[in-house]
Formats: sequence, C-alpha cells, structure tokens
Amino acid sequence: MLLQLKNIFKWVNSGGQRVFLLKDINLDIEEGEFISVMGPSGSGKSTLLNVIGMLDNFDEGEYQFLDESVHALKEKKRANLYKEYIGFVFQSYHLLDDLTVKENLEMPLLYKKVKGSERKAMVADMLDRFNIVGKKDLFPSQLSGGQQQLVGVARALISNPKLILADEPTGNLNSQQSEEIMDLFKQLNEEGVTIIQVTHSEQNAAYGSRIINLLDGRMI
Amino acid sequence: MFSSYLKIAWRNIVKNKGYAAINIAGLAVGVCCFILIALFVKHEFSYDKFHANADRIYRVWQYENYGPKEDFLNTTTPVSMVNVLRENFPEIENGSRVFRFNSLVKRNESEFNESIRAVDPSFFEIFDFDIVAGNSEKPLATANAIVLTQSAATKYFGNEDPLGKSLSLEFNDEVRVYEVSAIAADPPQASSIQFQLLVSLANEALFFGERIRTSWFNVPVESYLLLGPEMSATQLEAKFPATIKQYLGDNYEEDTFFLHLQPMTAIHHDTSLPAGIEPISNPRYAYVLATIGFLVLLLACINFVTLAVGRSFSRATEVGVRKALGAFRKQIVHQFWGEALLITLMAVTFGVLLAFLFQDTFNSLTGKELLITLDLSFWVITLILVVFIALIAGIYPSIVLSRFNPIQVLRRKKGKGASMGFLGKSLVITQFVASIVMLIGTLVIGRQIDYLVTKDLGYKQDAIVVVPTNMSGEEADEFADLYVAELKKQPLVSDASRSLYSFMENGWVDAGFTDATNTYREFAFNLIDPNFLKTHGIPIVEGRDFISGSESDAQNGVLVNETFVKEFGLENPIGVTYDKFNVKILGVVKDFNFLSLNNTIDPLLMAINPTPILTHAENLETQYTAQPRVSVKLNTEDLSSSISTLKSSWEKINPTQEFEYSFLDEALMVQYQNELRSKSIVNIASILSFFIACMGLFGLATLNVARRTAEIGIRKVMGAGVMNIVGMISLDFIKLVLIALLLAFPIAWWAMDQWLQSFAYSTGISWWIFVIAGIIVIGITLITVSFQSIRASLINPVISLRTE
Repeated sequence: MLLQLKNIFKWVNSGGQRVFLLKDINLDIEEGEFISVMGPSGSGKSTLLNVIGMLDNFDEGEYQFLDESVHALKEKKRANLYKEYIGFVFQSYHLLDDLTVKENLEMPLLYKKVKGSERKAMVADMLDRFNIVGKKDLFPSQLSGGQQQLVGVARALISNPKLILADEPTGNLNSQQSEEIMDLFKQLNEEGVTIIQVTHSEQNAAYGSRIINLLDGRMI
Repeated sequence: MFSSYLKIAWRNIVKNKGYAAINIAGLAVGVCCFILIALFVKHEFSYDKFHANADRIYRVWQYENYGPKEDFLNTTTPVSMVNVLRENFPEIENGSRVFRFNSLVKRNESEFNESIRAVDPSFFEIFDFDIVAGNSEKPLATANAIVLTQSAATKYFGNEDPLGKSLSLEFNDEVRVYEVSAIAADPPQASSIQFQLLVSLANEALFFGERIRTSWFNVPVESYLLLGPEMSATQLEAKFPATIKQYLGDNYEEDTFFLHLQPMTAIHHDTSLPAGIEPISNPRYAYVLATIGFLVLLLACINFVTLAVGRSFSRATEVGVRKALGAFRKQIVHQFWGEALLITLMAVTFGVLLAFLFQDTFNSLTGKELLITLDLSFWVITLILVVFIALIAGIYPSIVLSRFNPIQVLRRKKGKGASMGFLGKSLVITQFVASIVMLIGTLVIGRQIDYLVTKDLGYKQDAIVVVPTNMSGEEADEFADLYVAELKKQPLVSDASRSLYSFMENGWVDAGFTDATNTYREFAFNLIDPNFLKTHGIPIVEGRDFISGSESDAQNGVLVNETFVKEFGLENPIGVTYDKFNVKILGVVKDFNFLSLNNTIDPLLMAINPTPILTHAENLETQYTAQPRVSVKLNTEDLSSSISTLKSSWEKINPTQEFEYSFLDEALMVQYQNELRSKSIVNIASILSFFIACMGLFGLATLNVARRTAEIGIRKVMGAGVMNIVGMISLDFIKLVLIALLLAFPIAWWAMDQWLQSFAYSTGISWWIFVIAGIIVIGITLITVSFQSIRASLINPVISLRTE
C-alpha cells in the first residue's frame, strides 16, 4: 500500500457557514496504480491532489503515506517526505523563466543537497531519456507548450519519486501534444511509477487504471 | 473631474494606510530637513545685504610683501587710511573706521567687561543699522556720545529710559563718562559688523598712541568706504599705488605695499582673506549642508517612486479595468498625479510643522538663532517644493502605470508584476550610496573627535580652573600675583600661576623679527610666572625652569620649546643670549599643543618680562585681549567647594571686581565646537537617510516578492525550505548594496580626506571603518528585506500556484 486516506474532511468558513471542500474521502492507493480524478469545476479535484501531495492541510481524518502518519507529522518532516517520494506536474508547467532547461531540471536536486557530480549525471540521464539533450541550454520561452510540459515531467521525475501528481497536465496543450504526454505517463507507469492525474478529459482518463469521480468534495 | 480624482486618491490613501504613512513620513522628514537647511543657507548668503548701499560699500585690505615668509595680509588697516583715501579720491563718497576695544563699563554698582566698537561719526550715514530711539540724525556727533543696542540698554538700564543717562568707560587708568545719545536695534545676525556699544572714534588719541596713529605698518582698524554711484572699484584700486608711494615716503619700497577693495557683501564668505574684527565662514559648510538637505529630500522623492512602482503590481489590474472601461491614458495619468499631489500636500504640511517643531534643535546644531518667518519667500519655497516633489514623485508612476496595456494586464498570470528593472535598482543604489557616504562620515568624524579630545596635549588639562582678571597693565599683574599667593595657601589648591594668556585662548602673541642672519622668523610668545610649568605639568628637557625670586630670571630669562630650538637651528641653546632680544635661554621645554589641534606646534618663547620682546619684535599680533589670567590646579574632586574657595580668596583681595572662572577641559572642548556640530549634523543626516533608504528598500522588496510569488511557490514545491527562499531574495538585495558600497567608498574616502586635512593631527581613515560601514549596511538591508522575504517564504504554494 502506497497511501491511504481515511475519512478526510477539509472545509473553510465563509460567512459564518462551513463550506466543505473535501467530505469524507476514503481512498486506498497501491503502488503502481494510475488513477484519474474527474469531476466538474470546484468539485475538489485539485484540493484532493494538494492534500495527497502534502502541500495543503486537511481538517479531519487520517492520512497514511507508506508507513508514516502524515496527519501527525511536523511541517518539516512532511516536507522531507514529499521531497523524497512525490513529484509534481502542473497544467501551466511552472518552469522558471530565468533558468535554462538544464537548470530547471537541476533545481529540485539542489534543494535535496545532491552533490554536484551526481547532479550532473542525473540531469544528463534525464535529458537523454526524454530526448531533449539538444534543448538543454534553451529557456522555457523558447520551447513549445508540449516541450515545456515534457521538461515539467522530467523535472518531476528527476529525484526518482514513487508518486507523480499531475494537475491537468495537458490542459494547456493541443491534442497531439496531449497524446504524447499521456503516452509518456503510461510508459512511466509501466516502469513502476504510481501516477495520480486530475483531468477533465474522458480520453485522458482512459489511460488510467482507475477513475475517481468527485462532486462537491465527495467521492461518488 | 478633478474632484473625482481627489476623491479616488483619498480613498486609495485611506485604503493603504501603511503605504501612505511610509510615503508621507518619508517626504515630511525630507521637507523638514530641506526647509531648515534652506533657512540656514539663505542666512549664510544674505550677509550684509540689508544695507541699502551694500553694492557700493567696500572694505580696504592690504598686502605687504618683504620677502619669503615675510608677507602680511590684513583686512584691518592703518588708522589714517580712511582719511588719506578720502582726501585723495573724490570718487569716495564717505568712509568710516571700525575699531574694537575692551573696556570696563560701569553704571552705578554694575560693571561689565565689554567689547566695544569705536566708529567714525559717519558710521550711520553709510550703514543701515536702525536707530529706534534718540538722536537718529547724528547719534555720534559729540565726543561723549554712546549708542547702545536694545539688548545692551536692557542690560544696563532695565526698564528705565536710557536716553541721556550716563555710563563710565575705563581707558587705561582714565575713567570717562559717556551719555547715551541713541538706541540702535541689535545688528542683524547676518552682518559682518557687530556691536553692542558704539562710541565715536573722532578723538583718536584716546584709543591710539602717537606712534600707532601715524604708522602705516600698524593695522588696528577696519576701513569701510562708500563709493559714489557708478564708481568702479577696480579703477579706483588702480590709482592707489601712487598715493601709497607719496604717503610712505622714505619707507617706500617698490612692490611691497598693495591696497585693495573688498566688496562688503563678499566679506563673510571670502576665506582667501583673513577675518577682520568679526569671524568669517567657509562657504563650504553652507554648500555641504545645502547638498545634504537636497539629498535627503531627493531620497524621499525616490522613495515615493519605488514604493509606487512596488505597488503597481496591485494597481495594474485597476488600470486594466479602467482602460477596458474606456479611460484614456491621459485620465489615468491625471489620476496618479492627483494621488501624488494629495500625498505631497499632506507631506509638505507635516514637513512644515516638523520644521517649526525642530527649529530650536536645528539652531543648537548650527549655533545660529534662526527663525522660520512666514514671509513671501517662505511661501514661494513651499510652493516650489510642492510642485517639485509632486513632479518628481508622480512622474514615474503615472507614466509607467498608465502605459499598461489592458489586455496584457487582465490576462496576466497572477504573480507577474511589473519589473522595476534598471531604473528602480539605480534609484535604490543611489539612496544607499548617499546613506553609506554619510554613515562613513559619521564614523570618521566621531573617531577624529574622540582622538582630538583624548590626545595627549603635552600638558595637564584636568582639574584646572582659569580665572581671568579682566584688568590690564601693571595693576593687573600685581593683583594676579597677590591672588596666586593667596591661593597657594589654600589646601584645596595644589598650584596656581599667572600668565598673560592661558590655554583657553586659542592663540597667544605672534611675534615676528629679522634675526642676525637677516632671516625673518616668527614665534609664539607668552608671559608666564615661575609657577606656570609646575601648574600645568610641562616637563623641561634641557636646562632649568624659572627660579622664583631670581632677579635676573625675571629681567631677561626665557624658556623656549623644542620646536624653537629645532627650527631656529640652535645647537647648544642653554645659556645662549638670543639674538637682538638680548634674552638668555634658561631652559627648553618639551613641545606641547598650546593651540587647538587644527594647528601644528610653532616655535614658542615664554618670559617673565615682556619688555625685551615687545621692544625688539617688528611685528606683534594678538587675537585675545592682553589681560593676565590665573590658572589654578586643584587638589580635589570637590569642584563646588574649590570654586567657593577661589571666589572667597578673590573677594578678599578685590571685593568690587567680578569673579569669573572656567574649567579648562570644558573650555578646550569649545575649540572643537564646529567639529562637534558637524558630527551631530552628519549623525542626524545619516540616520534620516538610512531611515528613508530603508523604506525605499522595503518598497523594492515588496515589489520583488510580489513579482516572484509564483517562482517562490514552484521552488517550495520542488523542495526549497524557508532559509533557501529568504537567502535567495536577500542575495538579490545584497548585490545592490555591494554595488552601492563600491560606489560609496571612493566618494566617502575623498570627502573625509578633505575634511581631515583641516587638522594638523588626524587619525586618518582606516580600512576597518569601511568594513564596519559595510557590515552595518548589509545588516540593515537583511533586516529590512527579511520582513518581506520571510513572509513570502511562508506563503503556501498552493495559493501562489493556483491558476484558475
């Protein structure tokens, strides 16, 4: 078992009323799964993803990740945990404009205090694997959307995570670019990486092994 | 339309109280500095302009050159100068001399030692000093007329009407009675002629001996000339040499004696000529102050710009919406001008209030008594300030912000504000360069003053009380000797001594003579008694001290200092009968600083008997009245009982004479008053400029963090910790500060080197001062930036990365 959510609730207080963002979420995810989270806008997809990614807190319930109880962990430990095991891919790529492709890939390693020579090897490896060696010195603005997302995925993978969280990874891409990225996810999944993606597209959802539907913060 | 701009501007100010407060506070401080300094500068450059004929009044100065090191530059002239020139040159319409002398002034029981001016009866025809009561036509027409200022009148007569009442003045041993003929207003501070009591100089014999009256080489008086309308001073100067030749007669030598005219209004700031009766001022002081005032104001304006641009990020959407709804660019520009104007008006109002509040503080800093008057020039300056600040402060925000393209702005992803770019960075660097220069100034000046105050002067200055006799002539010497003898009996007194000048006078007698080898030499000279060295703890390096009671020592014995021996090339000085003075050198004292540390140690000769020096020296100059002073070395820490002992001993000998005293160490501090003033001014200026620069920095940090919100979010998701983020943001600013430091160091070094050159003894500028300045500045930067960077590093990336 990779992670387990038990009776997760998350809410905000608005105008004296409690508005639930997540309501009684129970979810078990095994290693090697490829899960698609679907639902209309505002149904809590991204919130769920952020909770799983430990970027956001929840108000009630229990969260086990590997053998750790996330809800009981201190901020710093939690940060170390997601740094170690989780990679993120975003809809708008979120590459740093001032850094080249190579430097963007290297950034997470810097924060993990990986040694210089090792960093170089890992970046070279990743460039090679994604066939973007020729683009390593380009800035994000010099790449197409598909290529930028390719770099985004490579960056998420570079520290060898067990889990990739992708929030509408193809939302800004055309259909051909989408397909390439989804194929890449499938391939990664086959290599053993667990993937959770948020998507609006039935077509993309079909790549996954399981679909979770959300409505008003509740799993249906 | 305009009122709607003001309304929006007002709402914006209310909505962003913190931002508005920083802006208004910064600008108000700048405005306050500017107004106060403008007041000072205006005063400095208004000297002597109040005379209606100011542009026609000239002071005569003379230059005599008899060979190397034997030249004399004086703004005082021989007694007969004015009369001679008036007789010879019809283009001179009028003239008056001004002579300063000291006298004991008595009225009934009260008596004061006063510095009095004797002037020609034509004085009030030339100069526009107001007569407020009495004979305003010819107040000095009679020989026994005396004119008092209002404050002098109050001092002697209180509430009585002083006109027609009498005062007695003491001339050597003769007492003369004067009658108050008129009351004058106190002379303006910005006047190169100052007076409290005025008497007529018509009876020259009263003031000068026969020899001085007729000599062309004694220069006791200032000579002022009023030229006729349209008369050229240069043309007149050209005619002087012939007259000089005629009057000098047998004493005339080619190219040795020159006469010139100095415009009245140039007197106060012309440091190429020596001061006459009143001190002059180096205009550099005014320029430096003016620069500081302008800089502080400019720094505050720059702040307005940085802060406004810093906020442009949050204002951009507003501009976008307004434009999308049909606002023209011009209207947006107007709106921002409106805001700038409103803030400026508030800031100037506060600034003026602050200036009123702090004018006393400022006066104590500058040593003036200036008051802000709400006259036309004040309102003009204020109006110019408002326009200037609103222009400078409003120009950048209004132009840049109004230029935003609505489509770009509205579509812009969150977290991408306008970058401040090169301009913003340059502005902040400019602010820091100014602040750092002032900081280094503070450090160097502080260290130099510490050095001056703690340096070993070669004599003991603590626990010494100086008591002036306020008497002259033999009577004074006898009195002082009696007093010294009386004091020596007191257990609280360890030693006492009489000398013509004490260490309180920053200038003893300057004597000049031509020695046997026909070289012109100058030395300082003082009359002392055999107790002087002991009282002040000055060691003898060779020979012996004066022996008390020795007839020959008292006749022709002298002591000299080491510099005297060295500079005048004496090989075995002890026992030598020195040159034409016919005095015998008894001992050589170790060099000590008898002048303030702005001066090096000159050759010094000290004697008991003044006659040999006075009769054989060719030139004698004194700055202070020649009245013996008694220096008392105390045995005790108990100052108040010592002073009462000194006082009771004094009254035992002369009950009528007023007892005055000063502590030497305190009086010596007064010598460095200008330096202490510069120190406080630079201290305050550097604190203010840092305060303002930090607000600018804060604005830039806010902008920077806002612009990088998304980046910070990404980095956090990628695993960056709080310290990584704080470090990253701080580094950006450290870079700016390092550039500022690099630019500021040479400027500061140059400026402080200039300043230190006015001291004969200086600490120099050590490298560690720059290191300390660097550490302080970087520390301040880190603290200021940390408010923003820590906040940014704690933002949950989920919020900063939300795209929908």
